[in-house]
Amino acid sequence: MSRFILPVAVLILISSAGWTTDHSPDSGSDPVCEVIPIGPDYYQIDLVTTRKVSGARLAKGFGDVTYAHSPFGVAISPTGTYVYDISVQMSNVTLAEGKSLAAWVTTPQLDSIKSLGRLDEDMRVRGQTDWNKFLLVITLEPDSGPLPETWSGPIVSRGMSRSGLMHTMAGHGPFETEPCAVFGY
Amino acid sequence: MHVRFFALLILGSSTLLATAQDGMQMDHSQHMNMEMGDSLVWRMPPMDMSMPMLPDLMDDVPIVGPMLPGFGMDLSMFAEARPSEIIDMADGDTLHMDASLVRRTIAGQEYVMMAYGGMYPGPLIRADRDAKVIVVFTNNIEMPTTVHWHGLRLDNAFDGVPGVTQDPVLTGESFTYELKFPDTGMYWYHPHMREDVQQDLGLYGNMLVDPLEDGFYSPANREVPLVLDDILIDANGLVPFGDSATTHALMGRFGNVMMLNGVTDYNLDVEKGEVVRFYLTNVANTRTFNLVFGGAKIKILAGDVSKYEREQFVESVVVAPAERYIVDVYFEESGTYEITNSIQAINHFRGIFVPETHNLGTVTVSENSIESSLTDAFLNARENQDIQQELDAYRQYFDKAPDHTLRLSVRVNNLPLSIMRMMEIDTLYVPPMEWNDAMPMMNWLSSGEQVSWLLVEDETGREGMDIDWQWKVGDVVKIRIFNDPKSFHPMNHPFHIHGQRYLVTHMDGVPNPNMAWKDTAIVPVGSTMDILVDVSNPGVWMAHCHIAEHLHAGMMLSFTVTE
Repeated sequence: MSRFILPVAVLILISSAGWTTDHSPDSGSDPVCEVIPIGPDYYQIDLVTTRKVSGARLAKGFGDVTYAHSPFGVAISPTGTYVYDISVQMSNVTLAEGKSLAAWVTTPQLDSIKSLGRLDEDMRVRGQTDWNKFLLVITLEPDSGPLPETWSGPIVSRGMSRSGLMHTMAGHGPFETEPCAVFGY
Repeated sequence: MHVRFFALLILGSSTLLATAQDGMQMDHSQHMNMEMGDSLVWRMPPMDMSMPMLPDLMDDVPIVGPMLPGFGMDLSMFAEARPSEIIDMADGDTLHMDASLVRRTIAGQEYVMMAYGGMYPGPLIRADRDAKVIVVFTNNIEMPTTVHWHGLRLDNAFDGVPGVTQDPVLTGESFTYELKFPDTGMYWYHPHMREDVQQDLGLYGNMLVDPLEDGFYSPANREVPLVLDDILIDANGLVPFGDSATTHALMGRFGNVMMLNGVTDYNLDVEKGEVVRFYLTNVANTRTFNLVFGGAKIKILAGDVSKYEREQFVESVVVAPAERYIVDVYFEESGTYEITNSIQAINHFRGIFVPETHNLGTVTVSENSIESSLTDAFLNARENQDIQQELDAYRQYFDKAPDHTLRLSVRVNNLPLSIMRMMEIDTLYVPPMEWNDAMPMMNWLSSGEQVSWLLVEDETGREGMDIDWQWKVGDVVKIRIFNDPKSFHPMNHPFHIHGQRYLVTHMDGVPNPNMAWKDTAIVPVGSTMDILVDVSNPGVWMAHCHIAEHLHAGMMLSFTVTE
């Protein structure tokens, strides 16, 4: 039971932070189509600062989620998970000498972590994941040397994939009488 | 024949309390009457989901009546359908083909179903590119029908759209179709009237158009057509369809029994080291498949209407309704390779993704090695310079501003209140794709009379058949399609255009680096897909979502192409 507390807490935190989803598709009135690889607004990940890191307390950022290239339009792994390209963009960050930002994805249970890489001078990095639910974490790391398997520095910002909003209905709403424990919660 | 009897069986509230079985599975079978004498009545569709039902829905049945062709008739009246045969047709040949009720056996149980030419799938028409053939079609089912020749750039009069290109073919009547095949590849034919019923019951078949050039494709040891389908069956037989309108209008009618080439136990025997060319067609009403060949290497050659610019290795093949793909699969080792549909279903009640693997068939690889090994050719992903050169003429248009935009949405009315509320609660997260019927009861209850799927042109405010696009032959038209994630019930839509071909140039603003000509492509929820239409064929044509229930819930438009 306790292993669910952290992800649920993170989920609630992110939910309360809100999502930026009010963009509309191009109207088509421009003379030339803008070719900007941005993911669907709906699935964009807002990165919320932890306010813990000097120079990054007002950090802003987001992760754009697009499908990895696939001849089928939508990219799907052999196990059926989505295969996403994630483009991270941060701003309002002043890095101390010898420091850099690194992006990571991790499962909601935090039991598996993968590096997306260091953000470049433009505060961007691009990576890929084939997890359906994941956290996107930005940490402060040394600016040289190989990145470790998991982050070593403090967390600057974090956000969760839109799918993180999907949670059990047991014990809630019309199913409030359903016993959570029966369904593993 | 079509008994249309509508019965409500109101159960006492004491029977309404769902009880957990094995901690997870819920048994709802007691909630509905199964039969009422000789009359056809609604019974709840099979649910294999580990979720309780909304109490308010337990007594509900669709507002439309139940209908099942052949219901109550003696099975022995009908000829037993036989497996598909290949009909080689030369230029100028004529094929006489009917649609009729037949007896089919699926997983050991007999059903009254439908067939073209008495076969499942229907006869595979094979012809050379540029050939023209005649099909004299006769309707021997007791519903009006037409035949649509999906993907063919044929003359408009033979496109098979009732009320647009022809009148419905009534029972006992015939219609003569003239087919022409300007593009190499795999195509298919199906009804364009109540395909939620007729196609689901077996009215589908392929057309394989052979190239005129040697070496058009990389070499393969054998060719195998594979038709992917599912069907909704419970212990009492086929689950009835809606009579005056479709059921399952929200998500489409997912089947619970999977079939390859119309059977549940498909097997193919090959030799070790064989390269097998599979021609894949998804004829299911709504299910998108993620096809895996047991870990065998897969190379994709072609999409709906052409080869790709370059061959590409993939680990699985995503096939939406009505799409076709041509893939080579290399069976390197002896043994058994399971053909599976491998997906991550969603359990909305638990709020989790659930891995599901549906076994569709088996490829058995013998110890004997193939004499003429094509391993080297298979492992080389070829550049298709012919298609690259053909596309060169269109590259100047790839980044042009859209000529039209479409927003995909839905409007509902008169759905049960608990469904409306539940949908609001459940829309915190909408997946890009619906791989399974994640809400089978609510989906079943939604009829085409309550759900309107929408193609919206925001610039004009027009919707569906009120949209009036006028194009000329030679135009290259860009359409931007946005699948609105904030609609009442967003869902992926396979978007099909009749009589023309198109390229998917961008998905969410990302340029497509490897294109093939298409006639159907998936628009996932939240995504924006740019397509470039090669306007080459005059007439009045349709464009629509190819989920059968969405089409019948209004998700279509027509456009006119003049010379």
